[in-house]
Amino acid sequence: MFLSILTVSLLALAQNPIELQQGKQLFEGLCADCHGFEGTGGRAPSLNRPTLTRAQDDDSLRAIIRDGIPERGMPRVRRTTDNEQRQLIAYVRSLSRAAPASGVGDPQKGSAVYQRTGCSSCHVIKGEGGTVGPELTIIGTQRGPDYLRQAILDPAAALPNGSQPVPSRNLDEFLPVRIMTREGREVRGARINEDTFTIQVRDSNGQLHSFRKAELRQIEKEFGKSLMPAYKERLSASEVGDLVAYLSSLGGVK
Amino acid sequence: MKSVAVISLIVLVAASVSAQVPYRRIAAADTDPSSWLTYSGNYQAQRFSALTQINRQNVGQLKTAWVYQMRNAGIVETTPIVADGIMYITEPPSTVTALDVRTGRPLWTYTPNIPPDVIIIGSPPVNRGVAVLDDLVYLATVHTHLIALDRRSGAVRWDTVVDDNKQGYYMTLAPMAIDGKIIIGISGAETGIRGFVDAYDAKTGKRVWRTYTVPAPGEPGSETWGGDSWKNGGGSTWVTGAFDPALNLIYWGTGNPGPDWNGDVRPGDNLYTCALLALDANTGKIKWHFQFTPHDVHDWDATEVPVLFDATINGRARKLVAMANRNAFYYVLDRENGQFLSATQYVKQTWADGIDEKGRPKVKPGTEPSIEGTLVFPDITGGANWYSPSYSPQTKLFYHTAREVATTYYKGEPDYKPGTAYTAGGGRRMDGDVAFAAVKAWEAATGKLRWEFKLLTPPMAGLLSTAGSLVFGGTEEGNFFALDAENGKPLWDLQLGAAIRSNPMSFAVDGKQFVAIPAGSALFVFGL
Repeated sequence: MFLSILTVSLLALAQNPIELQQGKQLFEGLCADCHGFEGTGGRAPSLNRPTLTRAQDDDSLRAIIRDGIPERGMPRVRRTTDNEQRQLIAYVRSLSRAAPASGVGDPQKGSAVYQRTGCSSCHVIKGEGGTVGPELTIIGTQRGPDYLRQAILDPAAALPNGSQPVPSRNLDEFLPVRIMTREGREVRGARINEDTFTIQVRDSNGQLHSFRKAELRQIEKEFGKSLMPAYKERLSASEVGDLVAYLSSLGGVK
Repeated sequence: MKSVAVISLIVLVAASVSAQVPYRRIAAADTDPSSWLTYSGNYQAQRFSALTQINRQNVGQLKTAWVYQMRNAGIVETTPIVADGIMYITEPPSTVTALDVRTGRPLWTYTPNIPPDVIIIGSPPVNRGVAVLDDLVYLATVHTHLIALDRRSGAVRWDTVVDDNKQGYYMTLAPMAIDGKIIIGISGAETGIRGFVDAYDAKTGKRVWRTYTVPAPGEPGSETWGGDSWKNGGGSTWVTGAFDPALNLIYWGTGNPGPDWNGDVRPGDNLYTCALLALDANTGKIKWHFQFTPHDVHDWDATEVPVLFDATINGRARKLVAMANRNAFYYVLDRENGQFLSATQYVKQTWADGIDEKGRPKVKPGTEPSIEGTLVFPDITGGANWYSPSYSPQTKLFYHTAREVATTYYKGEPDYKPGTAYTAGGGRRMDGDVAFAAVKAWEAATGKLRWEFKLLTPPMAGLLSTAGSLVFGGTEEGNFFALDAENGKPLWDLQLGAAIRSNPMSFAVDGKQFVAIPAGSALFVFGL
């Protein structure tokens, strides 16, 4: 019963092409940067699926468009009028009827690739693995397939953002830094936090280092680099497809 | 027995006389650096302390004297007022608390009855402080009341409704007390209000004058508004200005036109938005105006603190007013007549090919907001904002926290409904590692950069300069710090555990100097 009502309301919205077109234009300005064009996902989750975990009805979708989800790193990009919200809802709902991306891999095979490649030495899934890189237990609800693919092939292209519960103004997370102390000791690791006068770094052994900047000889922030190796040359296209399918499945997303 | 009574009567009279903060005492604030009698420290809005006990040599030994935790959650933007052993602060959204300045122990607190459906659109529910005059403390509230409290007890002496909160009018600023009058400005340009500056009789709370920042049809400047757009023209006045007693002029900045990001509905320059007004203190009449950003579409309010100082420019001694404007330029004007003297770019900007000889920006095409978004420097909150700069008469430098950020500006649908957001667009700030800030020191008269000290991210925190040759400031990450006022060298810093979104101030009691700064929901006071 519920489903059929939903279907009817979707059809009703779909019958207003101008509204959809305006929604699309707004979406491409405000949302596509993170959610991908046509909601295929990216830095933010894909929206072209039948059920949106946090927006199962239009009221909750409206609330997200209106206020963002600040604790997950989604800003309210700008204030929207009732009319603009209605247009965005219509467009977002229309995305779920687009055919899902085809030709994707096999999650079970992807799980094997994950084990074989040693991803768990740096990433945690359901409590198991190392903490050098971001936690991946629910990564499928947080990132779209395109983003995951790029993160595997070329991790330096976009460092994680919003993956850590540290309120730090959207600074790049897991930014590689190379530090030289006055005594000539070198520390390389991922930046955990920073302010104008201090910096906190975790090295590849999981050891935390904290420095006052005035006491350092050099701090090199390695923008454009990642501590994670690129798997462009190391995995076959089908292995990458399987791995993306596996990661996309984490968090209960079908 | 009789003689004791006489003596105690004399003591009482003496105490009540010295307990007052008459106008002449505020006007002479520079001669009384132990007190902090008005929002920016003096009427020139210089936020400079002549105290020298804390200085370059000993600032490294600063210690916490006391900490006061706010009763209410929310962003703390207050600048404390200190007079005669008492510190008056405001807590968000509109509470006044009097503290024993020696210990931080509360003496009284006052919270007005703010209706639960109060409309606050365009800023968080904050307050930047009180004004004091004679024996009263003045509070401007988010539900748009101006309230006078007895400074000994917090008892309400009068309570005046300034305007209709249901239409979106509200207040966050510290009022300014001048001779017999209380000057206030208004917030609410994001709801399409019509802005104004008001003066109230300090004793009775009766309005003495009101000057609208958006002219009605037939008034000068009305030709700069197309159609009926003036009715919702914005031009709020939400930050405390400055005052020149000799010229009897009040200097007050005005905010953005409404709606913020879609200028199509308000063709023209939209006077007097994004401008500096010089108002006759007796009548409120606009003596002169200078518009920094004609027909603004980026929300670049000119509500930054205007700073008054005198300097010789091209061989001529001048009375000046300067503003580090949100639009990325630092302006110096003649404060007697509003003549434009210079504009210097102080942060990255991509919207103007400079400023012409009359002070008008040469706007680049294609920089206005769009539906798909237009990336422009500076950002939506600007190269400057409400937080205070500082001017040191010792170094003759203007100190400012300069924000280096861009925003993708969006144009939206203009839809005016009273008491709701009338912004027609917005922006996405480019924050993260690409955004940063710097404390910059430039020659106040010329804008020529002397030094800068880089900050990791752009804060909403102001500066205090002192005769101890120090500049105090804060960061979004919670560092409170002191720099050498001559060269910007960092001399001391302390992590306070939450963002600093306010302005430092300084005072002395029992011969000891202190510096105060809010961070998070607490007020910290430091001394040697």
